[in-house]
Amino acid sequence: MLAPLDLKLLRDLGKMKGQAFAVALVMACGLAMMIMSRSLILSLETTRDAYYIQHRFADVFCNLKRAPNSLRARIAQIPGAAAVETRVSGTLTLDLPGLAEPADGAIHSLPEDRRQTLHLLYLRRGRLPEPGSTKEVVVGEAFANAHGFQPGDTIDATIYGARQRLKIVGIALSPEYVFEARAGEALPDNKRFGVFWMNERELASALDLDGAFNSVLVDVAPGADNAPVMAELDRILAPFGGLVAYGRRDHASSVQLDDELRILRGLSVAFPLIFLSIAAFMTSAVLSRVIRLQREQIAQLKALGYSSWQVGLHYVKFAIVIVAAGSLLGGFGGLFLANGVVELYHQFYKFPVLELLPDWGMFGVAFLVSGGAAFVGVIGSVRQAVRLPPAEAMRPEPPAEFKPSIIERLGLARFFSPSFRMALRNLERRPWQALFTALGLALAAGIPIVPGSFRDAISYLLSFEWDVAQRQDVSISFIEPASASALADLQNLPGVMRAEPFRSVPARLRHGHVSRRLAVTGLASDASMNRLLNDRALPVALPPDGLLLSAKLAEVLDVKPGDVIRVEIQEGRRPVREAVVQGVITDFVGMAAYMEINALRRLLREGGTISGAHLAVDSMRWPDFLARVKEAPRIASLSIKEAARQSFLKSTGDMLGTITTIYFTFAIIVSFGVVYNSSRIALSERSRDLATLRVIGFTHREVAAVLIGELALLTLLAIPAGLWIGTQLAGFIVMSASTETIRMPLILTTRSYVMAVIVVLASCAVSFALVSRRIHQLDLLGVLKARD
Amino acid sequence: METTTPAIPVLTPPDSLAPLQPGRERLFEVRSLTKVYPSGESEIRALNGVDLDLYSHELIVLLGASGSGKSTLLNIIGGLDAPTQGTLFYRDLDLTHATEAELTRFRRDSVGFIFQFYNLIPSLTARENVALITEISRDPMSPEEALALVELDQRMDHFPSQLSGGQQQRVAIARAIAKRPEVLLCDEPTGALDVQTGITVLEAIEHVNRELGTLTVVITHNAVIADMADRVIHLSDGHIVDMRHNRVRRPVCTLAW
Repeated sequence: MLAPLDLKLLRDLGKMKGQAFAVALVMACGLAMMIMSRSLILSLETTRDAYYIQHRFADVFCNLKRAPNSLRARIAQIPGAAAVETRVSGTLTLDLPGLAEPADGAIHSLPEDRRQTLHLLYLRRGRLPEPGSTKEVVVGEAFANAHGFQPGDTIDATIYGARQRLKIVGIALSPEYVFEARAGEALPDNKRFGVFWMNERELASALDLDGAFNSVLVDVAPGADNAPVMAELDRILAPFGGLVAYGRRDHASSVQLDDELRILRGLSVAFPLIFLSIAAFMTSAVLSRVIRLQREQIAQLKALGYSSWQVGLHYVKFAIVIVAAGSLLGGFGGLFLANGVVELYHQFYKFPVLELLPDWGMFGVAFLVSGGAAFVGVIGSVRQAVRLPPAEAMRPEPPAEFKPSIIERLGLARFFSPSFRMALRNLERRPWQALFTALGLALAAGIPIVPGSFRDAISYLLSFEWDVAQRQDVSISFIEPASASALADLQNLPGVMRAEPFRSVPARLRHGHVSRRLAVTGLASDASMNRLLNDRALPVALPPDGLLLSAKLAEVLDVKPGDVIRVEIQEGRRPVREAVVQGVITDFVGMAAYMEINALRRLLREGGTISGAHLAVDSMRWPDFLARVKEAPRIASLSIKEAARQSFLKSTGDMLGTITTIYFTFAIIVSFGVVYNSSRIALSERSRDLATLRVIGFTHREVAAVLIGELALLTLLAIPAGLWIGTQLAGFIVMSASTETIRMPLILTTRSYVMAVIVVLASCAVSFALVSRRIHQLDLLGVLKARD
Repeated sequence: METTTPAIPVLTPPDSLAPLQPGRERLFEVRSLTKVYPSGESEIRALNGVDLDLYSHELIVLLGASGSGKSTLLNIIGGLDAPTQGTLFYRDLDLTHATEAELTRFRRDSVGFIFQFYNLIPSLTARENVALITEISRDPMSPEEALALVELDQRMDHFPSQLSGGQQQRVAIARAIAKRPEVLLCDEPTGALDVQTGITVLEAIEHVNRELGTLTVVITHNAVIADMADRVIHLSDGHIVDMRHNRVRRPVCTLAW
């Protein structure tokens, strides 16, 4: 048989299971979020690290125009270079039967005469091309799955102007394409962009690079520094039209993953901490109530000879049971959610295997943290209770000291009913308790604002990006910078109503110690299709000289308008220039720098070159346009705005939508839990008074009015505070989730606030109804037994 | 109708401390005991300089009106409360200067309490309420034995809410005696009970006092009950106003009120 005190514990908990469950549930929500995000972090990090090591992801990358294969040996001798891989890389366009618009892709070579040492492929199905074979390719898995390709299928591709029919022999993944997207794009466009691998000799031939290479990968020895390796590589490749070497920090796929982890880390602490604090506060309130109610039982136990320690421990066990229940629920809930999110991640991140690795260590920490918080919340009441000499504890508490309330001191008492006056006096008697209850209610009102603002942020982002900023239908990029006549060619395509050119160069922007590698884009000053916007979504005019930077980029580089930064062009003759930052623009995906197109051309000392154009196409002639554009030889990629929007909605939009729903559910649970708890505690504290009122002759409704009046008063006061708290919370979380790759705007609409108020009022309505029922069960006779 | 035969009152001055019979040991020595406690905005002088000796095997009745200080005296003797002034010794233990641990030990090993309002733990059965004691005692009876002593072995697995007032009080007695205490303190044990049940409860107390030789102190404001005692101590306004020895103890079943 269990010890009698433990039997008492279980039975007492059974009597208050509603409240205990409410607290455990709130705790579980916080823990679930924490476990979910930390497990995702662990899974992604561990999987990524293993993948990079096992499949030899390089440390240093460099693209160039053309260098002879014999140069490979010299590169291999760079001090610090543990392994070197040279290859041929290019782009291709595809004409797929199921797709109206053309697709494009990147293609890389696989060595035939030597063993591949870096960027080893993970073959999901099929095989690599036979050495010496032609027309055989391996396809990236994301693209293959989007189209249902199998080994043995054929596709028509145009490489460097030559159209060929290729046979797919294998489907694979590569560590350089964990994120299978076009360079510079934030989202995979798996239906329209794919990655390919082909035998080296054949690809070199197609790209007019026989016996040469145009891309270098270097694995830097452990312990060696990247910088000298990159510097030496630049020196060696400079005569061969080399762009500047860069490391993983500037590698698109790698950076994406890093930023995702950063966001997860931010979320894994902020939100759960708030929930756990609320749970600790609720535990404290519930247990204080229990201890007050059991004052006489405590005295009994001490009279029987139980030490203060033993009695205190008995009540601490109440907290322990609740914490244990909350931890179990939270742990399994978190794992369940994490599993679901991992499924979503499979869409984005291409790993050979991505399994959920539960963060058991964090589980233990979470248990300790919530246990600690609950313990701290409880220890005060416990200590107070056991410290009383038993005789005093057995005496009934002296009547509470009441004083006239503020409205009475102001002389306004006669305007208010006795119930209201009682409520007000009681609140004033225990101001700290009223404050804590109000705080809990405020949090209950504020928390639902956060998921609401997420949802509004997503809508705003969509509209901002794809309705207001980008008004083109199609963006076309050329394989190589083309002359102004290329623009005319585009304008002559069927259905094209307007074509606005852009010139884009890869560059490294530097200010002091900080630098970033990105594209500087030159736009026409009268550009109306791809517009630059400020934080109020109004167009910003391009200055005739100087740069406009993303606000985030300006923050990262620590510059403000008027500052001068260094622009290191990484193309052609690689000029280094200085330019003035003229202003900032607002965007939410990636970071960019813009100049007036002629200003950029002057910087590059070139004529009317363009890298591509934004087009407005007549929707009636869309099919004709697509048919012609598929055949155009110089086009590297074609990005259709509507398609990009759909892609976002289906992937990131989906994911954010799921997370928002989860948070909203949690917010509702917390809201209800806090309100219900506060109501039950208020009821039990006043039960003697309320029963006395019943005996005197107050009806059920009048008695309910007294109790609920107090709570309603507090709630009304708490709501404005809560809305303010929720706003701060949302701002804080948006800030901690803001990265260079993706940011969310802080959007607070009336709808969010109204939803939050509705949630808390609904919780109140339900809780008050439940509590009112209990008023019917007040023990009227118990009140009549006087104790002396 | 039987009338009570008043025992011949022997008025002894409050400081006559000779034991009634040889072979009994002195358990408590009370000197100048005073208790003042605040209550709301007032101050109450519950005890005003009490001197007293208590011996093993004795059954003592403390009489007095409401507010006379009898409960306070009982609580202090039992280590439930601390005096404001004065000294209290249990054998060699100085209770007025005892540590929390010593007081707990004293209550656990040596004292059994019975209160007017039974004070059972509502969420435990009768047997479990008694087990509360037997779990922490050095040489207890089993819960079943203790309940049999008060004739409640048939209702061991009932909760307090399923027992009558008298039955609850008897569970409280079983709980108090299960540890075989040297001292049994009863504060108005029959106050909430009807006459018949009250008699049953007092019989149980009397039985225990005789069987176990426990020093038993019973508080009541019913003077008739005084006849069952060895000594009757009368309290008023916080000090002893009268103390008499009963030459002969009347059995409980002969009392009527």
